[in-house]
Amino acid sequence: MTTAVQRPPLVRSSDRMIAGVCSGLADHLGWPVKYVRLGMILACFAGGAGLAFYAWLWTMVPTADESARRNARRPASPIAPAVSLPPATESVPQAPDAGPAPPVVGSPAVSGNPPVPNGAGASGPLAGAFGPPFGSPPAGTTTSGRTSAPAGAWAESGSPALQVSRFNFRRIQYGKEILLGAGLLLVAVILIARQFGVDVPLGTLIPAAAILGGAAIAWMQLDETRRAGLVDKTKADQAGGWVRLAAGLALVVAGVLVMVSGSGSWEQTWLALLASVAVLGGVALVLLPWGLKFWKDLETERAGRVRETERAEIAAHLHDSVLQTLALIQRRAGSEQDVVRLARAQERELRSWLFTDAAKDAGLLAERIKAVAAEVEDAHGQAVEVVTVGDADMTDRHEALVQAAREAMLNAARHGGGTVSVYMESTAGSTEVFIKDRGPGFDLESVPDDRLGVKESIIGRMKRHGGTATINSSRDGTEVRLALPSINAEGGDTRTGDVRPGDTRTGDVRSGDVRSGEVRNGEPRQ
Amino acid sequence: MSNTSQSGEPRSVRVVIVDDHTIFRSGLKADLDHRMDVVGEAGTVEEAIAVIAETRPEVVLLDVHLPGGLGGGGREVIAGSAALLGTTSFLALSVSDAAEDVVAVIRAGARGYVTKTISGAGISDAVIRVADGDAVFSPRLAGFVLDAFGTAPADIADDELDRLSARELEVMRLIARGYSYKEVAKELFISIKTVETHVSAVLRKLQLSSRHELTKWAAERRLL
Repeated sequence: MTTAVQRPPLVRSSDRMIAGVCSGLADHLGWPVKYVRLGMILACFAGGAGLAFYAWLWTMVPTADESARRNARRPASPIAPAVSLPPATESVPQAPDAGPAPPVVGSPAVSGNPPVPNGAGASGPLAGAFGPPFGSPPAGTTTSGRTSAPAGAWAESGSPALQVSRFNFRRIQYGKEILLGAGLLLVAVILIARQFGVDVPLGTLIPAAAILGGAAIAWMQLDETRRAGLVDKTKADQAGGWVRLAAGLALVVAGVLVMVSGSGSWEQTWLALLASVAVLGGVALVLLPWGLKFWKDLETERAGRVRETERAEIAAHLHDSVLQTLALIQRRAGSEQDVVRLARAQERELRSWLFTDAAKDAGLLAERIKAVAAEVEDAHGQAVEVVTVGDADMTDRHEALVQAAREAMLNAARHGGGTVSVYMESTAGSTEVFIKDRGPGFDLESVPDDRLGVKESIIGRMKRHGGTATINSSRDGTEVRLALPSINAEGGDTRTGDVRPGDTRTGDVRSGDVRSGEVRNGEPRQ
Repeated sequence: MSNTSQSGEPRSVRVVIVDDHTIFRSGLKADLDHRMDVVGEAGTVEEAIAVIAETRPEVVLLDVHLPGGLGGGGREVIAGSAALLGTTSFLALSVSDAAEDVVAVIRAGARGYVTKTISGAGISDAVIRVADGDAVFSPRLAGFVLDAFGTAPADIADDELDRLSARELEVMRLIARGYSYKEVAKELFISIKTVETHVSAVLRKLQLSSRHELTKWAAERRLL
C-alpha cells in the first residue's frame, strides 16, 4: 500500500563527491546514487540545466547536521501528531483536499521540489522539457498505488489556490520556497511562450512583477520587525531591514511609474513621479496624526508589556518565597521559635533580593559574616543583627576570624537568648568583630575545664592566626571581641594603639559591673 | 523640654503614628506604654501633614515609605511640617535598612531611626527619648554613620562638622555593637545624659555636614 511513504528527508549527505547533493537526492528518492549522478551529468549537457539544478540544491538543501539542528530548535507543532498519527492508508483517498495523508516530513519536500527544477531550468532554453520529468516523479512515488493518481493530478494542475491551501495547512514552513518556485515557473512559462513566438506583453508584466516583488519584500520586512519588536527589542539587523524596506519600496515605485507612464518616456515619468509625490504628501499629511497616535499606543503597549514582565517576575519570586513561607508559618503557628525562624529567614531572603547592590563585591568579609550569621539564625531561631563598617578581602586568616565569630554567635544564640548583635569593623590596620548577647552571662569559675568550645574554637583559633579573642561576661550579657591585625601591621592590634582611648579600655579594663572581669580563657556557658 | 521621666510623675507624650499599614499602626499603638497618648494617625503624606499640623504632637512615629505626595515618603512629611520642627520631633521607623532610606530621612530632620522589628519596650523608650530632645540611634544607623564619616577620629584642624570626635566615635561604635545608652554610659564612665549629648551631636553632624566623604558616600548610595 504505502510502502514509500516513510521517505528520508531531503538533506545533503556526508557521503559526497562535491557537495553531497546527488547522494542526498538518491537517499531521498530511493534511487541508486550512480544513476542520480549520471542523470545529473547528462542534465549538465542539456543547456547547463543540471549545473543550475545542482547549484540550486546545493544552496537550498541543508546538510544533515543543519537539518537536525533546525528540527531540534523548533518544538513539535501541536498539530503534527494529529496529522501524522492516523494510518496513512485511511486518509489517502482524501489526500487532495484534506492533505494529511503523507507524513509532514516527506511531503513538504514534494511540494517544494516540483518548482525547483523548473525554476532552475528557466536559465536555459530547455527548461520546459526538463521540468516535468523531475517534477512529477517525486509526487508520483510519494504516495504509491491508488494515491498516485490524485497526487499526480495535483502536481499537474498546479493550481495556486490548491497549493496555497495545502501549504497553509502545513504551517507555512516552505511557503517562501513555494512562492519563489511558482514565480520562477511563471518566468519559465513566459520564456517558453516567447520561444514559440507568442507575443507576451513584457512591458506590462515586468512592472507588475516588480510591484509584486517589492510589496512582498516590504511586507515580509514589516512582519519580521513587528515580531522582533514584540518578542524582544534587540534590533540587531535593523539596518538590513531598512535596506530591504527601501529596496521593496523602490521596486514598487519604479513598477508603478513604468506601468502608469506606459511606454516610459522620461518626461512623462517625471511628471507622474511629481504628481504621485504630491499625492503621497497630501495623504501623509492627513494620516500623520493617526500614524503618530498608533505609534504612541504601540509604545505604551510595549512599556506595559515590560511592566507586565517585571510584575510577573516579582509575582514568581513572591510565590516561590514569601507565599511558601507564609504557608509554612500557618502550619507551624504553634511553635513560636519556628515561626520566628521562618520569618527571619524569609525577611533576610527578601531583603537581599530587594536591596542587595549588584555592584557590590560578593565573597568579601562582610558578606561572609552575614552569611554565617544567617546560618546561625536559621539553626537556632534567634535573631542575629549584623552591622558592618568597611570590608576586607577574604584570606585564610579572615576565614579563621569568620569561623571564630561563628562559634561565638552559636554560643550567644544557644545561651544568650534574645537578639545577638554582631558588629564588624574593618580598617586598613585591623579587623574587629564583636558578638554581643543579652543573656544571663556565665560564671567562668563554674565552667568545667574540659569544655573546649571557646578555648579552642575561638581563642585558640584567633591566636594561631595572630589575632586575639577577648570575652567579657556580666549579668547583662556577654560580649566576645575578636581582633585580627592586618598582616603587614606590626604585631598586636594596631587600632587600640590609635587615638581610641575608649576602645582600649573596653578591651582591657572593663571593671564596671563585670562579674567575672576580663577573661582571656573563658569557657562556654553550659 | 522638661518632661523627664526621672520626676516619676505620670505624664503623657502626645504621639502621632504615620504608617500606611493599618495593622502595623494598631500593633504599634498597643506596644506604646502608658506614658504615651496617641492623638492621631495617618496613612499618606497629605494626611500626615494635615494631622500633624492639627494635633501638634510632641513625637511623630514616621514610616519612611509612605504613599501619596510627590513620592518622597517620610522625608516629604518632615519637609511639609518644617514649621513645627521646633516643637515636634520625628522618629523614623522602617522595615528597610537600606542606607538611602534611613539617612535621607535623618538628613531631612528626623531625630532618630529604629527598625520596625524593635520591641514594645524599645519603641516606648525611643519615643520618650525623642520627646526629651535626644536622638535615637539603632545599631544599624550607628553603622551607617561610622561608614559615612569614617572611623578615624577628627583632627583639631578639621571642620567640626566633618568628623566625629574620638568620644563620639566610641559612642557610635558601642551603639553599633548593640549597647544600650545605659550600657554605653557604664562602659565609658559617663552619664546617660552625656551619651545622649554625644549622640545628638552626631545626629547634628549627620544632618548638617557637607563633608566631602559624606557626600561621596551618599552619592554612591544614590542619596543625593
